[in-house]
Amino acid sequence: MSTKSKTVSEKIASLNELVAWFESDQFVLEEAIEKFKQAEVLAKEIESDLLELKHTITVLKKDFSVETNS
Amino acid sequence: MAVQSPRFTVTDFIAVTNQTLEYAYPFVEIEGEIASFKVNQGKFVFFDLKDNESSVGCFMMVFALRVPIEDGMKVIVRAVPKLTKWGKFSLTVQQIRPSGEGSLKKSFELLKAKLEKEGLFAAERKRQLPAAPSRIGIIASTQSAGYADFIKIISDRWGGLELEVAHVQVQGDVAPDQIIRALRYFNQQALPDVIVMIRGGGSADDLSAFNDELLVRAIAESRVPVLTGIGHEIDESLSDLAADVMAATPSNAAQLLVPDKHDIIRYVRQSMRHVLTNFEAATNDLQRETTQLLEDAFHKVEVQFDNYEQSLLSTRSLLSAYDPRRALERGYAIARGEFTKGATIEVETQKEIIEAEVRHVNQK
Repeated sequence: MSTKSKTVSEKIASLNELVAWFESDQFVLEEAIEKFKQAEVLAKEIESDLLELKHTITVLKKDFSVETNS
Repeated sequence: MAVQSPRFTVTDFIAVTNQTLEYAYPFVEIEGEIASFKVNQGKFVFFDLKDNESSVGCFMMVFALRVPIEDGMKVIVRAVPKLTKWGKFSLTVQQIRPSGEGSLKKSFELLKAKLEKEGLFAAERKRQLPAAPSRIGIIASTQSAGYADFIKIISDRWGGLELEVAHVQVQGDVAPDQIIRALRYFNQQALPDVIVMIRGGGSADDLSAFNDELLVRAIAESRVPVLTGIGHEIDESLSDLAADVMAATPSNAAQLLVPDKHDIIRYVRQSMRHVLTNFEAATNDLQRETTQLLEDAFHKVEVQFDNYEQSLLSTRSLLSAYDPRRALERGYAIARGEFTKGATIEVETQKEIIEAEVRHVNQK
């Protein structure tokens, strides 16, 4: 399952869903291995995303010391 | 030779005097105490600025009055000296700000009461900050320690955000207008998810820019939610009160804005441990169930086997009871042959087989 295009928040939401499934009545052992693998992938991606992502900081060139129309 | 004095008309004299004044003092800053403060027609402000010995009349437009003023307050005015056409000397005031702790406090309280009455600080006006902002507009001086603190904390806690920074002055007379322009820019053009106003600690005078009436109104009118992180914990500005959320410091603003990624990582690891525990518990349960089923089956087979064995033993015992040899052991004999007089028969005891002759046959 590829989750690369998801944001960190979306991945956390997906992981929460999987965790909830493991605690729900829907839990069946036959599906659990696949779900566990998905959770492992998500957990690794969330951790690496959080540690690697940097902010983009842009200091505006606009001069706020003078009144302009734009 | 007598020097000829210049001769003017009255109008020219006043014009020349004003030119001279303008040349000598294009602007003056004067500190003094307010007296006879009044507003005419809702547009024109008149007051006297005085000290222990002197007094000078002042005039200004209402829109230039950015802070509440009343008699007795000590202020600094920035003004142009002027002789009116009636020959009265006056200061045309362009800016006025309270001077000294007492006046700053008085002005703060007056404006606070006025804006509070208008509902600008009402709790029901406050909006929540977005839970997961992706674009943040920052209004700060990029050279300030407060800005550096904010950037450090927000970078330590989270990543991947677009931060747009409007560099403005955050103290002094020009600060309010610059901040208002930055607010306007973010509200009309950039439209980030949230606007953060940052300024580190300072004296009451340093922070007074954030008590400017027009600035406070601009914050209250912002379409984009505003978070302020101004000064230290103990500082409270009117901008803070008008903002949707007030942080205690610039660092605290970063904490309120984004979660801590280290907490998230801890949560994710804990979730995985939880999932693994559930998974192991499920497989252990299944293993226990299977073992129990096998044990039950084995037990049932054992019981069946015991029953069968018991039944077999009973049958054998019964069969044994019918065995003729048991009767011979008890002293009985088996007679075989034709039981008629003179016939020869065979008699079997436990130990012998006897041949005998029938002498009498009596019916019972």
